[in-house]
Amino acid sequence: MRMFSVSHKTAFVVDHCPYMAESCRQLIECDMLTKSRAQGVIPLAPVSKSLWTCAIECSMEYCRILFDIYPTKKLVNYIVSDSEVHILNNWKQEHQNTHELMAALATVGPPNPRQDPECCSVLHGLVAAVESLCKITEYQHEARTSLMDVADRVANRGRIICLTNAKSDTHVRMLEDCVLETIQEQNKLAAGSDRLMPIQQCELVLVHIFPQGDDTLVSDRQKKELSSVLTSEVHSVRAGRYLASKLNVLVQQHFDLASTTITNIPMKEEQHANTSANYDVELLHHRDAHIEFIKSGDLHMAGSTSRDSGLKETVTLKWCTPRTNSVELHYCTGAYRISPVDVNSRPSSCLTNFLLNGRSVLLEQPRKSGSKVISHMLSSHGGEIFLHVLNSTRSTLEDPPSISEGCGGRVTDYRITDFGEFMRENRLTPFPDEMVDTLGRTPIERAKFQLERHTRYWPMIISQTTIFNMQAVVPLANLIVKDTLTDEDVLTCQKTVYNLVDMERKSDPLPISTVGSRGKGPKRDEQYRIMWNELETLVKAHVGNSERHQRVLDCISACRSKPPEEEERKKRGRKREDKEEKDKNGKDSEEKSWTAESERLKGAMEREKDEQAECEIIKDSPDSPEPLNKKPRLATEEQQPPEKSKGPVSLLSLWTNRITQANSRKHQEFAGRLNSVNNKAELYQHLKEENGMDAHENGKATR
Amino acid sequence: MTLRAMRCCAKLLSHSWAAGKDTDDAVRAGSGHSGQIFSIANMPTVVLMDSSLSMTRPVSVEGSEEFQRKHLAVHGLTMLFEHMATNYRLEFTSLVAFSSLWELLVPFTRDYNTLQEALNNLEDYDKTCLEAALQGVSNVVQQEWGTSCPCQVVLVTDGAMGIGRGSLRHSLQTLKQRTDDKKFPLPFPFPSKLYVMCIANAEEFQASDGLDNLEQLISLNGGEGQIYTMEGPLCLKSVQTMFGKLIDQAYSPLHAVLRCGNLASDVQVFPRPEPVLIDEEVDPIPKTVQTDLEIVGFVEIGDISSPPVISRHLVLPIAVNKEGDEMGTGTADETEEEPSTNQMAGKSPNFCVLLHGSLKVEGMVALVQLGPDWFGMLYSQADSKKKSNLMMSLFELGSEPLPWLGRMSQLGPASDAAENPYGEDDSKSPFPIQPKNKRSYAQNVTVWIKASGLQTDVQKIFRNARKLPEKTQTFYKELNRLRKAALAFGFWELLKSVAELLERECTLLPDSAHPDAAFQLSHASQQLKLASTGDSKYAAFEHNIAPMLTDFSGGGAERM
Repeated sequence: MRMFSVSHKTAFVVDHCPYMAESCRQLIECDMLTKSRAQGVIPLAPVSKSLWTCAIECSMEYCRILFDIYPTKKLVNYIVSDSEVHILNNWKQEHQNTHELMAALATVGPPNPRQDPECCSVLHGLVAAVESLCKITEYQHEARTSLMDVADRVANRGRIICLTNAKSDTHVRMLEDCVLETIQEQNKLAAGSDRLMPIQQCELVLVHIFPQGDDTLVSDRQKKELSSVLTSEVHSVRAGRYLASKLNVLVQQHFDLASTTITNIPMKEEQHANTSANYDVELLHHRDAHIEFIKSGDLHMAGSTSRDSGLKETVTLKWCTPRTNSVELHYCTGAYRISPVDVNSRPSSCLTNFLLNGRSVLLEQPRKSGSKVISHMLSSHGGEIFLHVLNSTRSTLEDPPSISEGCGGRVTDYRITDFGEFMRENRLTPFPDEMVDTLGRTPIERAKFQLERHTRYWPMIISQTTIFNMQAVVPLANLIVKDTLTDEDVLTCQKTVYNLVDMERKSDPLPISTVGSRGKGPKRDEQYRIMWNELETLVKAHVGNSERHQRVLDCISACRSKPPEEEERKKRGRKREDKEEKDKNGKDSEEKSWTAESERLKGAMEREKDEQAECEIIKDSPDSPEPLNKKPRLATEEQQPPEKSKGPVSLLSLWTNRITQANSRKHQEFAGRLNSVNNKAELYQHLKEENGMDAHENGKATR
Repeated sequence: MTLRAMRCCAKLLSHSWAAGKDTDDAVRAGSGHSGQIFSIANMPTVVLMDSSLSMTRPVSVEGSEEFQRKHLAVHGLTMLFEHMATNYRLEFTSLVAFSSLWELLVPFTRDYNTLQEALNNLEDYDKTCLEAALQGVSNVVQQEWGTSCPCQVVLVTDGAMGIGRGSLRHSLQTLKQRTDDKKFPLPFPFPSKLYVMCIANAEEFQASDGLDNLEQLISLNGGEGQIYTMEGPLCLKSVQTMFGKLIDQAYSPLHAVLRCGNLASDVQVFPRPEPVLIDEEVDPIPKTVQTDLEIVGFVEIGDISSPPVISRHLVLPIAVNKEGDEMGTGTADETEEEPSTNQMAGKSPNFCVLLHGSLKVEGMVALVQLGPDWFGMLYSQADSKKKSNLMMSLFELGSEPLPWLGRMSQLGPASDAAENPYGEDDSKSPFPIQPKNKRSYAQNVTVWIKASGLQTDVQKIFRNARKLPEKTQTFYKELNRLRKAALAFGFWELLKSVAELLERECTLLPDSAHPDAAFQLSHASQQLKLASTGDSKYAAFEHNIAPMLTDFSGGGAERM
């Protein structure tokens, strides 16, 4: 349906003349109590609606369905006509709701039967409707402003639905002539105005309402072209439920709707809570929800049956009780808003409430062949219920290759978890319409900009990065990608850097990957050099953001270890002490990894292996320290070196070693063992010392 | 693409033409890429091959052995099959031969060797009767794929569409005299494209009415399809050019770059997304997916909530070599290097694989911009065999394809919001967007079109009336609901009746009733009566009848 088709604007004109106050002569018993109550009571006379009441409630039902299915862009202007015109709302979107119309109708009230019929006419309303159709809607205005030079190509079409009680066919013709004349006049007027648009096409739907039992004075007439601008059709309908079903058919025709009946809905009985009966609920929606049935020509096979009215068909779909509440991404080819035909009935409200509470229901297409085909799904989003069309035909996406078979499929150490975190940080959220930032960027542009910032340095695999494998870098890494930094942020970044400096001083091991490198990973100082370089790369990528970003980079440049040349010079001299530090450090890392979860443990074990391999090689080098020179430590470790020198270490010994080390941290080391030489502690040292002292003192004393 | 096609041609030309034997090798060379370049089948193809006697007419080619038109046709199809074996390996293709009868030579298959073999062993038959053959195609497709799967039909013919009964001209002339059971097979009941490959050049073709008839055929198919004719003399080269055009038109995947900020990957999108027309008022121009697929952000699967899409596509990462040609296609000398290059491609990290992995683990989708005001989503799609893939679904064109997401341009980074819309513990979500007005089924609307609706509403009031004063609040709530509707509908008679009923209810109260009940009932009755006069003082729509403050009710004590 094109946006500015005749259904863009609907003007309702309802006759408010004295004759509309006449009863429709369909009686409604509302004194239901007498049946069960005292005998002597005389039941109250049944009530009956006036033609006016019938017209109002049916037109309101038309609007209800329309607003349910088209919350925007399909507009209604409601006009009441007697001796004058009452325009109850305008084309503005905010006035498109039944509540507002009901309130306005209440102020109009029922027609006054004592009013002079001579000065009352529906003509006033029809003239007003034509004038109203010339008025530009906000959507037309928007389209015209966006098209500027071709603004005249925005169409102005509309429909007038007139609910009246006509006298005769001649009267009807008179009404049509009047509309046509008015259109011609108004179009002339509109041609010279900015706020008005000439009507290109108008559909007049005249509904003649007459009371039950009367003979109609007006004959039905199919749509007929009165001029190139105006077509007209006449429906002669008895008031009451006949009128209701007529308007129901009209709303479906006017807005391309179709009907689906959900069958087999299990519902608990009010009286017998433990039994359940099956109910049907009829829904209206855009007819494209049936497109598959229409195309394949099996609309009838799909369980379509004629309804009572005999005018429209409904497709029957079977309820499938939902088993789980799991979120699933269905392959859905369309989603259409629904409106229940009988909105207040118990089955309807049970179904809609069930859906509004967040459950989804799959619908099955009944087939004679017996195979079960799920063709639709009912689901609510934000308080609106949609009929989703699911793809139920055979998929030609048979047997597609797995992503692991293609490019990059063999790589196993993608930073899946980190990227998951990245995605969470880059989740979207709706912003109000006027929300543009100081640079005039729309929210979605800001989202792209943020993605750009967050990915300036983003290694895809674990073995490509050191800093993103380090918990210690997280605070800085999270902050530096921001567009602007606060002083506090800078401080946090600086603290992170100091912390790293501290780690380097202590020579903490780094989670540097050894994948791809032969034999062993880089040496400790080399590791730190890699880490610092990577950190610099990260920060440099953002240094243009602000002066505060620059301060972070300055901090790194100032704090990071000496430039490589200098390092190189010192390297040889430092090697010995470096080695010692490393060993001492091994212990620290031991504990860290021991307390951490298994993943880190594994990493630490690998690290330890590397370290040991490193030791081995260093030992062989000319200036390697003698094993005995190592700072004496745990007994078990003392026994380790000969084993190490033998070659590869068994996993068991590694493990025992680790556990012993970890346990050893839990108690204070024996003083003797700490001071031992070659694992032998001299006993009764104090005696020796005391004796010596004593001797000395004694000597002194004697002296 | 064209470059590649030309290279294929060059290679084919270098072989001597001998009943397609050498081309078999070419196909094998192509299938040697197995596992490296993927495509998916989304549009099965039926090749409808004219094997009437007229196809054996010789083509005069200077200084070489004599060709038949059939040979040229086979040559062109061989090229098509080779292309598909290389680039569209998962495409299903079937081969139907026809003359006065038709025969399904090869049912839908992905085995292009079988197709090629059948093509090479094609026999010659009698006259051309296209209508029956098209009916045959229609049956074959419907049996295999039903009516909703789009298919491509490639009709290869010399353009001589028969004479007399059974000829295309005869079929078209009698179009209007058909009964329902003998309807012309076009338009096909499934979405289709009909490509006619004419082994004839345009000039010789124009002399006959063959072209007109074929054009009519395409328009019968809703304009879906195209006629290709040969340019210049009938020779191998011109047949290659013609099939090259078909390949470009119908069998070329979309090459694009998938970007997420600075992370990017070259991808092929299968099948190629169709251009989309929006039903606008002014100058509808078909919109095509841009070759830069830009991720704008991420949304949870539960929030995106099974959105309607216009099509689905596989997104396959490809490695691009230095010349900017994608790998695994092209000439034979390239194939030799391929294993190593492909191994490299498998082992070098690719953004698509990372994205796919994280989308799968997190249960999220990536929103991707496909053009101005056009978006789609990327997600992990798993089949039953635990294989999974990166898929892209295209949303409807427009600024607000999903009502529950709102306008796409208004979606921004959650971190920009004053308060985290997902909550500190991820317990909330900014989606779905709540519409301004509630729908009728979500608000307690009053509809009295059926008498039962009205009766239920009246009964509700009296059910509560009998439980006064406990149910005072609900009693007045129901009373006011009825009052509002009656005023709007101009149904004052109902107000009078209910007022009378309330009055009577009051007189019928048992002795045991709470004294407050009588007060409330007569108060309510009186108020309804006043409203039924239409007096603006009492009949205001927004006015609500408040419970009467009595000595028995809580408020009464205060008043004293």
